[in-house]
Amino acid sequence: MEHASARPHPDAALLNPIENPGRSFYYIVGALLVIISYTGFVYFRQLWFGLGVTGMAQPVTWGFYIINFVFFIGISHAGTLISAILRLSKAEWRRPITRMAEVITAIVLAIGGLHPIIDLGRPDRMLHLFYNGRLQSPLLWDVASITAYFTASTIYLYIPLIPDIAILRDRGVKPRWLYEFLSWGWQGTERQHKVLDRAMNILMVMVIPIAVSVHTIISYIFAMTVQPGWHSTIFGPYFVVGAIFSGIAAILVLMIVFRKVFHLEGYLKHIHFNYLSILLLIMSLIWFYFTFSEYLTGFYGHEPNEMRVFWYKFAGDFAPYFWAMIVCNFALPVAILCNRKTRTISGILIASISVVVGMWLERLIIVVPSLANPRLPYPTGIYIPSHTEWMLFVGGISVFILGYMIFARFFPVISIWEIEEGRHESARIVTERITSYMPDPEPSAAGEQGGTR
Amino acid sequence: MNKKTIEALQILSISLIWLLFTGIAVWIVTLIKESIRLHDAPDASVGISIVAIPVFFTLASVLTYVFIGLRKGRKEESEP
Repeated sequence: MEHASARPHPDAALLNPIENPGRSFYYIVGALLVIISYTGFVYFRQLWFGLGVTGMAQPVTWGFYIINFVFFIGISHAGTLISAILRLSKAEWRRPITRMAEVITAIVLAIGGLHPIIDLGRPDRMLHLFYNGRLQSPLLWDVASITAYFTASTIYLYIPLIPDIAILRDRGVKPRWLYEFLSWGWQGTERQHKVLDRAMNILMVMVIPIAVSVHTIISYIFAMTVQPGWHSTIFGPYFVVGAIFSGIAAILVLMIVFRKVFHLEGYLKHIHFNYLSILLLIMSLIWFYFTFSEYLTGFYGHEPNEMRVFWYKFAGDFAPYFWAMIVCNFALPVAILCNRKTRTISGILIASISVVVGMWLERLIIVVPSLANPRLPYPTGIYIPSHTEWMLFVGGISVFILGYMIFARFFPVISIWEIEEGRHESARIVTERITSYMPDPEPSAAGEQGGTR
Repeated sequence: MNKKTIEALQILSISLIWLLFTGIAVWIVTLIKESIRLHDAPDASVGISIVAIPVFFTLASVLTYVFIGLRKGRKEESEP
């Protein structure tokens, strides 16, 4: 009897990574597991010897872990938020992109959410939050909002995945029990489609304010303190803009990698990169506007403590990072993406990697200089990350790559049923939409037309 | 794995999301009680609970709705 998965499928390229993962998959997974195991060892060493093994000391008590926490949570805005906006605005070109974006959110949120625990010398004391927490602290708002965002994003990733899981189940792909369990008896009936659409509509509307709230609340951790460089009213929107900006860059990098590795040129076309890169360009300009406003108001006030932090960033020890951030987040992407000739796939890849690096530098610029310049008459602090902190950063990125690879090994990274639906219905839906908002001809003009006939 | 075990696992997964919702609601209520006991600005805690509890409740409800809806949809199709 012929095996079900041997049947040809119109979107075989999307099923190929699941049905024929190849040896290279296992080699890469093995290499990543080695890095992750070493990271685990480094972390247990930190647990054993305490935070003294990190570069953190008085007055810089927040370092790489909090920088990476803000950075990873920012990247998580790539997925669910952008996917929900594209779905809500009925952008038809979204179809091959949304799933990839949603997966980023689920994995990166889990990694980012763990970083504040890694930052604790005594992580067991996290348990105190359950019975002695103070809900009026922005730190606890963060716990609540990140948990809500993670739950919502996972459900939002899972629900549109159900029809694709059913395709894998029907093709007899192993482990069959997993697809049987996760497909929840999907048969593609009209009623099941209605249920799925309704649930997705509710989630789309819910996910956007939750995502915005998450990064706003992360900004409150800084902005609610009366600390030079942090106490700012625009920190909420500034963080949200930065998060969406870095998120779009992360999606573009992943799309280019997946396109190359899995030969998805037929699905991820130049037009998708073109649209997303224009969005990246717009976000770069908005980000620059916020950065300019943030520093101009500080400079204009000329408050001595604020100015110490200001000059520390502009011309002091952190000047190389600050100006590198401006180049990575503004000068380079704008120069590449403004010009149609350089807005090629490789140009977009360079601009996106530049933005990811630049946004990490932005988190560094926000976290360290304010702590390094205390208001009390103490000397300027020094922060040099240790091997432990670097390794945990590398480990975090490895967990992300591993998580994404495992997802791609078991589930399609591009939504098969949405592509199929798009092929059959997109043209009709778009035509109907255009007809609905185009103005009707004036009655007199219609009469004249009739008369001339 | 037989169908009954898979169905049991599916029901267990739905129970888990409700357990998460219940856990979060109990946690928030405990913290509100604690802040009232300590005269420690309970209004902020109440404000958070007004937002957080309905969000988790809606998420759990949506997942339950999908679970029940898909099962009912399947039954309709199998009817003659």
